[in-house]
Amino acid sequence: MTVLAQQIVLGLLLGGLYGLAAAGLSLVFGVLKVLNVAHGELIMLGGYGAYWLFALLGLDPFASLLLVIPGSLLLGALLFLVLFGFVVRAPEETRIKNSLLVGFGLALALHALAVRLFTADDRSISTGYGGAVITVGPIAIPVIRLASLLVALALIAGLHLLLARWRWGKAIRATAEDWQAALLTGIDIRRAYLLAFALGTALAGAAGTLVSVGYSISPSIGLEWTLKALIVVVLAGLGSMLGTFAAGLFVGVAEALSAAAFGGPYREVIGLVIFLVVLVLRPQGMFGRAR
Amino acid sequence: MLEIRGLEAAYGDVPALSGVTLRVGAGEIVALLGPNGAGKSTLLGCVAGLVRPRAGIISWDSENLLAVSPHRIVERGLAVVPEGRRLFGSMTVEDNLDLGAFSPRARAARRESLERVFALFPDLRTRRRQIVRALSGGQQQMVAVGRALMASPRLLMLDEPSLGIAPLLVRRILDALVEINRAGVAVFLVEQNVRAALTLAHRAYILEGGRVVGEGEGPALLRDAYVRRAYLGPLAAGG
Amino acid sequence: MRSPGGNTERAWTLGILLALGLLAFLPLLAPRDDVLNFVFLVLLSITLAQSWNIIAGYAGQVNLGHAAFFGLGALTARTLWIAGTPVVVAMAAGAAVATAFALLIGAAAFRLRGAYFAIGTLALGEILRTTVGNALPEISTLPAASIGAYRLAPRYYLALALAALSVLAVAGLARSRLGLGMVAVREDADAAEATGVSALALKLRALALSTALAGAAGGLFAYYHISYYPAHPFGPGWTFDALLMTFIGGVGTLQGPVLGAVLYVFLKEYLTVRWVDFHLLIFGVLFIAIVLIFPGGLVQAVERARGRIARRSGATT
Repeated sequence: MTVLAQQIVLGLLLGGLYGLAAAGLSLVFGVLKVLNVAHGELIMLGGYGAYWLFALLGLDPFASLLLVIPGSLLLGALLFLVLFGFVVRAPEETRIKNSLLVGFGLALALHALAVRLFTADDRSISTGYGGAVITVGPIAIPVIRLASLLVALALIAGLHLLLARWRWGKAIRATAEDWQAALLTGIDIRRAYLLAFALGTALAGAAGTLVSVGYSISPSIGLEWTLKALIVVVLAGLGSMLGTFAAGLFVGVAEALSAAAFGGPYREVIGLVIFLVVLVLRPQGMFGRAR
Repeated sequence: MLEIRGLEAAYGDVPALSGVTLRVGAGEIVALLGPNGAGKSTLLGCVAGLVRPRAGIISWDSENLLAVSPHRIVERGLAVVPEGRRLFGSMTVEDNLDLGAFSPRARAARRESLERVFALFPDLRTRRRQIVRALSGGQQQMVAVGRALMASPRLLMLDEPSLGIAPLLVRRILDALVEINRAGVAVFLVEQNVRAALTLAHRAYILEGGRVVGEGEGPALLRDAYVRRAYLGPLAAGG
Repeated sequence: MRSPGGNTERAWTLGILLALGLLAFLPLLAPRDDVLNFVFLVLLSITLAQSWNIIAGYAGQVNLGHAAFFGLGALTARTLWIAGTPVVVAMAAGAAVATAFALLIGAAAFRLRGAYFAIGTLALGEILRTTVGNALPEISTLPAASIGAYRLAPRYYLALALAALSVLAVAGLARSRLGLGMVAVREDADAAEATGVSALALKLRALALSTALAGAAGGLFAYYHISYYPAHPFGPGWTFDALLMTFIGGVGTLQGPVLGAVLYVFLKEYLTVRWVDFHLLIFGVLFIAIVLIFPGGLVQAVERARGRIARRSGATT
C-alpha cells in the first residue's frame, strides 16, 4: 500500500511537469491553430540551457529560470518570425498539416544539432540539496521535485493571470476565439500570434529546466515530451490553462497506477492508450470548438 | 468620407460584386438594402479589409483603404458590427467592450467611450461582468454595437443588426443608432428590415446580384413603387 | 499535390525498371560487399518510401506510425523464418500480418481527420514499439548455422524484386480506378462521396496496399540483418526516413520517392563519417524548405528549373 502511495505521489510530481509542458503546446495550438511537434525539442533545449548555465557558471537551476525563460521567449519569437509566421498564412485546414510537417523538420534539425553539440549522453543537474527529502508518514517526497511542481503551478497560474488581465493577454484569447472578429476590433493578430508562440516556448523552456534538475535530459527526450504534451492537451481540451495542469497531474497519476498494475516498462503505454481512446471517441470533442 | 468606386469582388469563380459605386458622407446614415446573397456582406468585408477585391477603389478621407491592414482600418476611424455579432463569447461584457478600444486612438478615450456605451445601453452596465455567451441575442447585439463604438469611430458599419432579435430590442438598437448619429458618427447600415432601415436612413442604395440597382433618399425610396413591390410587399422579408 | 498518370510517369516507370534490371547484374561483377550492402539499403529505402507514398501521396493521409507495419512485418517474418519457414513465405506472412493490423485499426483511425490521423498513428507506433521492446528485450540473433550460411546475393535479389514491385504498384495505382478514386477523395472528399465513391473503402484499400509493402520491407529487413533488437524496426526513425525520402523527392509522384531514397541514402552514408546525424539536420532543414516553398519536392523543383509546366488534370475538374 505504501509503495503504491509513494508511486502515486511521484506520479503527481511528474504530472505537474506534464501539465507545464502541455500548457505551452495548448496555448500555441489554441491561438495559432498550429501543432508544433517540435515542442518537445524546445523543452529539451530549455533543459540544456539550464544544464550548461549550471555546469559552466554554477548557476542554481531554479535561479537560472530567470535566464532560461526570457531566453526561450526570444527563441520563440525568432522561430515565429522565421518559420511559423509563414505557416499561419495558410487557411486553417492546411495550416495544421503544414505546421505538423514543419514542426517535424524542425524537430529533426534541432535533435541532430543537439546530438552534435551536446553528445547523446544523458545529463542531469546535481545540486547540493539534490538528495533532500521531506517525509510525510511513510512517504518520501523529493524536495527538488516538489519545488518543481510548485514552480510549474506558479508559472501556469501566472500565465492564466496574464491571459485574464493583461491587455495583450485578452487580445490573445480573442484571437484564439475568433481571429476575424479580433481584426475587426483593431487587434494586430500577427502580434498576438507572436506573443502566444513566444509564451508557449517560454513555458517549454521552463519545463525543460525543471526536467533537467529533477530528472534527466538527453537530445532524445524531445519526441517523448511532445507526445506527453499531446496526450495532456487532448485530454484537457483547449482553453483552460488550469485545466491543462490538472490533466497533466491526471496523466502522471495514471502512469503511476499503470506501472503498479502492469509493471514498470508499461508506464509509458497507458498515456498513449488514453490518448488514442480520447482521440478516436471524441475527435472533434477535445480539439474542436463548438461553432 | 467613404468613397467606393467600381468595386469588383469574387469568391473563386463566383462573382460577388460588379462595379459597385457608392459613398457615405460625414454625419450621414446610409442604408444598403437588397436580398440575400446580393453581396452586401461582401461589400462590408472589403471595406473592413477582410475580403480582397479584384478591382476598384475604396478610399477613406482620400486615403486608399485597400493598402491598409484590417486592424489599422479601425485606427483610421471605421468600425464594424459584423453579421452574427462575432463577439468573444467566453469573455465578459466588460472585456469585450474593453477590447473594442484596442487601437491606440481609441484607448486614449476608453473611459469616456465606456460611459457613453453604458448611457446608450443601461442594461450592459448591470451585466458588465457577465459572460457574453450567457446573454440573449438582443443583449449580445447591444454588446456588439457597444464594442464597435468603443473604437471611437467616425463611421460605424453594421451588418444586419436586426437579424434574429426581438422587435422591441430592434427598436432600441435602431433608436441608439439615431442617437449615435446625432453625436456625429456616420452610419452605414446593411439591413434586410427595409422599412425600419429606410425610416431612419438619410440615403440608401439597393444592391441586387452584386450591382447597385437603385439609390435615393430614405423617405423617397419608402414611397418608390419598385421598392414597395420588391421589398415592402406582403411577401418581402423583414418588417 | 498533383494527380498521377501521364507520359512522364510512364517514362519514369520504364526508366526505373530498366535501372533495376541493370542492377540485377551487379552481383555478377563481384563487387565489394559494402557496395552491395549500399545498394541493398537503397532498394529497401525505395520500397519503404513508396509504401508510405501510397497512403500519403495518393490517399492524402500523413501516417506517422508507418514503422509499426514495418516492425510487424519484421517480427512475423523473423519468427517464422528462424523456425524454418521459407523466407519468401515468411515475408508474405509478415506483409499479411501488417495489413491485417492496419485494417483492424483503419476504420477507427480514418475517423480522424488530417493532423489527428497523423498524431494518432504516431501514438500507435510508439505503443507498439514500447510493447514489443518490453515483451522482447533480448537481441534477436540468427542461429550459428544460419550465420555460416549467410549469403548476400539472395537478399540483394529479394530487395531488387521488392523495389520493382513497389514501383509497379504505384505505377499501376496511378492509372487504376483505385488510384483515380483516391485522387478524387484527396481533392474533395465531399464531392467524391456525392458521386458514389466511398472514401473510407478507398482509404482502407490504400492503407492495405501501403502496409502490405511496408510489412514485406520489414520482412526483408529481418532476413537481411544477422542480429538486431526486435523493437528496432518499430522505431519512429523508420517512419521519419520514409517521410523525408518521399517528401523531398516529391510526394504523390512515382519517381519522387525513388529519387528521394537514392539521395537520402547517399547523403546518409557520405555524411555519417564525421557527424552521425548530420544528414538529419540537412534533411530537417530541407524538409521545412520543401513544405513551405516546394511542396512538390525535388520533382517539382526540377520541373520548374526546366521551365516545364506540367499541367495535369485532376479527376474532379
